[in-house]
Amino acid sequence: MSRLNPDFSTKLKKYGAFDTSLCYNCGNCTAICSLSDKKNSFPRMMVRASVIGMEDRITSSLDPWMCYYCGECSTSCPRQANPGELMMSLRRWLSAKYDWTGLSGLLYRSLPISLFAFLLTAVAVIFYSFKLNFNVETIMHIGHQFEMFAIITVFAIIILPNVFRMWWSVIIKPKVKVPLKAYFKAAGDLFVHMFTQKRTLGCDDSQARWFMHMVLVFGYLALLFTTVVLDWFGTDNMFIIVLGYVESIVIFAITFIFMAGRIKRNKELNKFSQPSDWFFVIWLFLMGFTAFIVRIFIDLNIIENNLWLYLFHLIILVQWAVLIVPFGKWTHFIYRSFAMYFDKITETI
Amino acid sequence: MENQKSKIGVYICHCGGNISDYVDIEKVKNLIAQEEGVHLVNNMMFTCSDSAQVDIVNDIKENNLDGMVVASCSPKLHLLTFRDVAKRAGLNQYNYIHANIREQCSWAHSDKTELATDKAVRIIRAAISKVRLSETLEQIEIPAINTAVVVGAGVSGMRSAIELADQGTNVYLIEKDHFVGGRVSQWGKLFPTEEPGENLVERLYHKVKERENITLFTGAEIKAVNGSVGNFELEVHITPRYINGMCDEAIQDQVLKACHIEVDDEFNFGLTKRKAIYKNYPNAYPETPVVDMNLCDKCGECLKICDGRITLDQKEENVSIKAGAILLNTGFDPYEPKEGEYGYKQVDNVITLQQFKRLIESNGKELTYDGKKIRDIAYIYCVGSRDAKGENKHCSRYCCTSAIHTAVDAKTKFKNIRNYHVTRGIRTYGKQETLFTDSSRQGDTYFQFFEGAMPTVENENGKALIKVKDALTQNEDIEFTADLVVLVTGMVARKDENLVNIFKVPVGSDKFYNEIHNKLRPVETVIEGLFIAGGCQSPKNIRATMASTLAASAKANSLIQSGMIALEPIVAKVNPELCEWCGACDDLCTYNAFEKVEYNGKTVAKVNEAMCKGCGACTPVCPTNAIDVVSLSDEEIETMIDSFIRDVEFTTTTTEEKADSFAEVVDFEKQVRVLPELSQRILDSLETEPKAIPDIAKELGVAADDVLYHLMSLRKYGMIKDTDEINEDEYYLYELKK
Repeated sequence: MSRLNPDFSTKLKKYGAFDTSLCYNCGNCTAICSLSDKKNSFPRMMVRASVIGMEDRITSSLDPWMCYYCGECSTSCPRQANPGELMMSLRRWLSAKYDWTGLSGLLYRSLPISLFAFLLTAVAVIFYSFKLNFNVETIMHIGHQFEMFAIITVFAIIILPNVFRMWWSVIIKPKVKVPLKAYFKAAGDLFVHMFTQKRTLGCDDSQARWFMHMVLVFGYLALLFTTVVLDWFGTDNMFIIVLGYVESIVIFAITFIFMAGRIKRNKELNKFSQPSDWFFVIWLFLMGFTAFIVRIFIDLNIIENNLWLYLFHLIILVQWAVLIVPFGKWTHFIYRSFAMYFDKITETI
Repeated sequence: MENQKSKIGVYICHCGGNISDYVDIEKVKNLIAQEEGVHLVNNMMFTCSDSAQVDIVNDIKENNLDGMVVASCSPKLHLLTFRDVAKRAGLNQYNYIHANIREQCSWAHSDKTELATDKAVRIIRAAISKVRLSETLEQIEIPAINTAVVVGAGVSGMRSAIELADQGTNVYLIEKDHFVGGRVSQWGKLFPTEEPGENLVERLYHKVKERENITLFTGAEIKAVNGSVGNFELEVHITPRYINGMCDEAIQDQVLKACHIEVDDEFNFGLTKRKAIYKNYPNAYPETPVVDMNLCDKCGECLKICDGRITLDQKEENVSIKAGAILLNTGFDPYEPKEGEYGYKQVDNVITLQQFKRLIESNGKELTYDGKKIRDIAYIYCVGSRDAKGENKHCSRYCCTSAIHTAVDAKTKFKNIRNYHVTRGIRTYGKQETLFTDSSRQGDTYFQFFEGAMPTVENENGKALIKVKDALTQNEDIEFTADLVVLVTGMVARKDENLVNIFKVPVGSDKFYNEIHNKLRPVETVIEGLFIAGGCQSPKNIRATMASTLAASAKANSLIQSGMIALEPIVAKVNPELCEWCGACDDLCTYNAFEKVEYNGKTVAKVNEAMCKGCGACTPVCPTNAIDVVSLSDEEIETMIDSFIRDVEFTTTTTEEKADSFAEVVDFEKQVRVLPELSQRILDSLETEPKAIPDIAKELGVAADDVLYHLMSLRKYGMIKDTDEINEDEYYLYELKK
């Protein structure tokens, strides 16, 4: 027995959904979705659960993560109820729900708070640099160390506990019985999906989207590796320098295309960009682009006189690491992969 | 017999192969030609075609025929066509008899052609023997008064009264209530114009009053009806208003306040109280209030304010009305839920849709019921409708639209309410579908249940708790509380046994009045001159009601306006010599067509031709065999049976003869049918050898589809046949039928 909660849809609107009540349950969306199957039948049921306000049903469900947003459901919806965007909103709502700090939800719901957080981070970076007397070498050294520190901290304090909470709400709380063996059996899937996002290939739209996305993921991870482990900004090794250039070009070129798409609204999934979507794509672009310029400045030996450039890069980097990665859209990368993993686990029962 | 018909023309129809493919027409023709009285037999490709009709008319005239048989399809299709042919040829239309050799022969026996031929001969022979005995009859003409009685002055009754009056018929409009408008005056805004029901009533009322040939009786009830079509006589009982016109409005208000007696106001479905002197609603028509004499204790308070006009000693009276036709527009009742049905009358805050509509009308800025503020409203649909096992199996058609329109209306008027619709599937058909979209857009939530799992309503801390097994949520049990539960009740037939008994109007199992034919004759009843329209016939919305009431008024007007009514002469006839009144026929007759008359010093039965339907039910019960139905006399039926059972003697035909006769048919068909050019080319091409469709198409340079089409036509008319052989590409070969 579920109790009707009409306020839920109102709440969900703050995460980007609108007019879910327009749905008349024809099921076109589920029928047209090329990823929906017997086990994970969506999006209609998620629309319905949102209308009724069945929060438990949604938090225990992996369906929102099973959708890769080709937008077919929204274009074929006879009522313009926009199921595709609803699934996106549920992903935002779920990642807020998983996040134990509650910051995620706060940033999703409020643009002013988000902007304030970005501003605060920038001020902190400038203030800290001021403390270091704007010494280029020290700042670059600290910046490099910050990257390593941030990765470990964000993972340990935010991402891991949140993944644990996700596991709790989809497997433990609904009392799904999973033998220990299954966790190991499915482990391979976790990484395959994390790095290939191969489920996107099941979508009916252009496969270029999947390809660009995968190249971006690899470019991003590789640049992370190149800067953090191989110390791109500090190295003299010609191979590493060129590698870093290529990776940063890949990142800002692809994110540029993505941004253009969102401005032109050329596809269904680009039609309704929320601030969190913009932050993600713009910051990723700026990261690649500023890293690229910084390295050029280093190669031209003019970085010492242009500290502002590195500071700008650092601000972007810090905002990315402390806001977008733990509380923003970046987490979808982790949740999606784990959703595929949990799905595989429950499938083997 | 002397006056037997002896120059009968028989016309046998091929029906373009529908008959001739299975019945050997030549054989039938030869046998029929030998029948007694048959002057000529003709076969035709389509007897109903214009050219064939002209041929028949000429035949009859030239040969001076005195009888005609057409053997073709069902008389339902073409009886009137050939009656008209007879008329044009100067032959009495009742000397033409129809033989059905398609539906009752060729189609039914397409697998046994020999037997089908045999049966066709028998059917035609029976028709011929009936023609031989047929009498020359004229339609019965009875005088009609060009006056109609319209029962019920709702929007339907008023509309038909106006229409009849404009076409020159005098109208008596009879309303049981003291105010006109019926159900529509109770509804608020109506979809899609948002015009309130009382405005429609007001407009129609003024039009009624403008017309001098409409007489409106209010407080009037029909007590008895006598006579028959063209000349009905009704006895009407009239309860007076006890007020002769009214003083100005201010005084009127004082008078209504002064009365100390209060009862539940039926007009508001018991939501409010009314006085013993009252109006249904402030703008009710006629404008004068009425005194309910069953309640009035004659205290005299009202007289103190407005003496002279209020006359409590007016008397009830009976008037007698004569009319040629009667229209029943008596409307419907909203279904009254049983006690406990979805908590009705057991859980607080459970009301019907009709009450809710009055509640919206009577509430100001804030929606309250029983003094409590209302925010969440649950609508439960199909209450008392679509009940497969219960009394009301029908869908009332208007309630989905009405409920959703009311929900939208309520939300527009009272902003902060929330609507929850618990439905069995929404049926806002046609243009009303936009309402459903409006309701979804304003945030209404919909649930859906099936008949097997009905929702329940119970009390939870002073609110209503609704539990529903929601089909839209994978049959999950969902519960929610509401401040008000609105039961969306459908339409049921009015509880007016009285009218049913008086008019003997046929009633269906759903208690609504029944028409003659659901589709083809939707406003006529089996009682000649009695028409039905609107909600008394079946659940209808206002639009459908108007359509049916206009149809009924047109039918009524065309029946009586000429002052004469022509009826079929095929009615029962009593032979007064044989009759010794016993009353058996009178007891049995559903149409009350028998009356007692004196004949040669004894009492005998006589048939009122205007009321008799010629059903023949009376003939077998007559102990002295005094009753016969005209043109269906015992003698006629017996000779028909004799002709039917007499053996058909075929001369045994050899295969060769068979082929010959077929060739004749083909030749004949070739004459009447100019072959399309492509058909001819295909025939030519098949001259040489059997061929398959793709080969012919290639040879003639046309599409295979076209060849197929023409080939099938040729096969149907027996000009080609398929061989059982196939070519190397596995296509069947076709050859000429020689």
